[in-house]
Amino acid sequence: MEKSRAVMSGKQKAVMFVIWVLMVILAIITIFPVVYIVLGSFKSNVELLVGGSNIFPSEWHFENYVQAWTGAKFATYTWNSVVISVGVMLISLFISTMAGYVFSRSHFRGKNLIYGIFVAFMFINVGSVSIRPLFELATAVHLTESLIPIILISVGTGQATYIFLSRGFVDSVPKELDEAAKIDGCTFFQTFIKIILPVLKPVMGTIALLSFRQGWNEYIMPLVFTMSRDNLRPLTVGVNMLKATGGGAAAWNVMFAGASIAVVPMLIIYIIFNRNFMSGSTAGAVKG
Amino acid sequence: MPQKQLKKQIKKDDKKDKIAAIIMLSPVVFLLLICSIYPFIWMFRYVCYDYNGFQATFTGTRNFTRMLSDTTFWNSVGHTFEYALYKLIFIIPLALVCAVLLNQKIRGTSVFRAIYFMPTVISSSISGMIFTFIFATQNGILNGILMALGMDAPIQWLTSTDFVMSAVTVLAVWGGFGNYMLYFITGMNVISEDVYEAAKIDGANGIQTFFRITLPMLSPILKVVLMLAITGAFKDYEAIMVLTQGGPGNRSMVMFLYIYNLIFGSGLTNMTQPQIGYGALLSVVAAIIVGIVTIAYQRIAKKLDDVM
Repeated sequence: MEKSRAVMSGKQKAVMFVIWVLMVILAIITIFPVVYIVLGSFKSNVELLVGGSNIFPSEWHFENYVQAWTGAKFATYTWNSVVISVGVMLISLFISTMAGYVFSRSHFRGKNLIYGIFVAFMFINVGSVSIRPLFELATAVHLTESLIPIILISVGTGQATYIFLSRGFVDSVPKELDEAAKIDGCTFFQTFIKIILPVLKPVMGTIALLSFRQGWNEYIMPLVFTMSRDNLRPLTVGVNMLKATGGGAAAWNVMFAGASIAVVPMLIIYIIFNRNFMSGSTAGAVKG
Repeated sequence: MPQKQLKKQIKKDDKKDKIAAIIMLSPVVFLLLICSIYPFIWMFRYVCYDYNGFQATFTGTRNFTRMLSDTTFWNSVGHTFEYALYKLIFIIPLALVCAVLLNQKIRGTSVFRAIYFMPTVISSSISGMIFTFIFATQNGILNGILMALGMDAPIQWLTSTDFVMSAVTVLAVWGGFGNYMLYFITGMNVISEDVYEAAKIDGANGIQTFFRITLPMLSPILKVVLMLAITGAFKDYEAIMVLTQGGPGNRSMVMFLYIYNLIFGSGLTNMTQPQIGYGALLSVVAAIIVGIVTIAYQRIAKKLDDVM
């Protein structure tokens, strides 16, 4: 590092500086929408409706959040978002690591066929049509009054990636560990709990982050499931509904506050774990 | 005798292990059956029906003939290709350039990388909504800034057929370039440091190094990333649904959004009656279109390989 800097000529330094400035500009453009929405959430509604080029509020209106939280039911939406994402995360973690372990270590007839079907359905995409039968099914088994179908469907549509991640990781764990456990009298399941799970910690971190994000950001499926059930809506649906239902046109401040409530928690998690997020996203794409 | 017993014991254990394995696998298989396989089969069941969610009547080939003359659908297919093209020609070069630059020894690389990747953790429904505020004609910040810089009249980003696709593209590029950048960076880490050292000793400059070394060595990764980007672009509709609802005048209607409107009745406020059978048929056709594009891309990529 020191050496390469020393041999850099003046011209190279200038080029590097120009590049650096361009990257700063791109970075500003990238974070601009988020900064705009968060700062805008403190503006008065009048200021937002007038517009202009100033992104800073002329007066800070913290009561927008009070209005969103109590008046526009954002407390309920936030709670639903938390329940959905934590639910998706916990279930995904448990079932996909188990499946990854079975796919890696067990041998029974049909295993490869099942694995193949998982792979095939990663490539088959029929869009929103699949939500319709699931909604009708949930209605038939009387589950539409809870968040359970939303959580389970979210897990079901995301699990393949997490299974591949876990399988890849278990494959890299030496088999001698299992065999030693077996000699000590561990059953297949006990070996998973006592030996494999502790080793899987890094990949579990990745799965936890990705599945939490997936649950938090889910939109179209919960939109369909909560079409007539306002108090089951997560933030993504709640804030967009507010915008769609005519009256929203007048309440930009509440919508800005709502969008901020939907975005900021995820961003905080991202700032803390950004390295894990990035490694997880590429690992998922490469495997899948 | 004891040996035989031991064998029996092992066999019994094996069987127990297999049962345990099947039980442990059952949750994911159950969800696969419910969430993937069942809807897939269900879709074919209604292809020849007129179904509004309550009543299904068999209509034979009527859905099919309707599709052939449905200009809104074929236009939406065209818009999907158009959208995919716009998205790719901006997002891939931008992601590649960012990846190459971030691979240099520049101050703050990890901060830049974290910022560029940030939009991908935001729900596309929320980013779609944020951009409706940014692109708003009267009080949107973008027009506000442009007017402050001396533009005369506000641009109708979302309500004019001339500009709506550029607004949609901006959102798509903003929301996705960090992801593809990351794929490239991961791919570049494979290229050995020695190759660059050798190029440097031979007197190659930055641009030569990029075209002679980075790009050729990156081509396997580039192929995979392009593949992901193309299939991804064809599937995008969530952000567009929030940003423009396919409007104005269906100008930004992509095929999966059109299908959504058919299956659930258009838009958020659920105003028209669902036409599920017809939507199911179009879903099959859309899936086939995506499949054909994927295969065509792979053929072309392979041909290019033979040439190079």
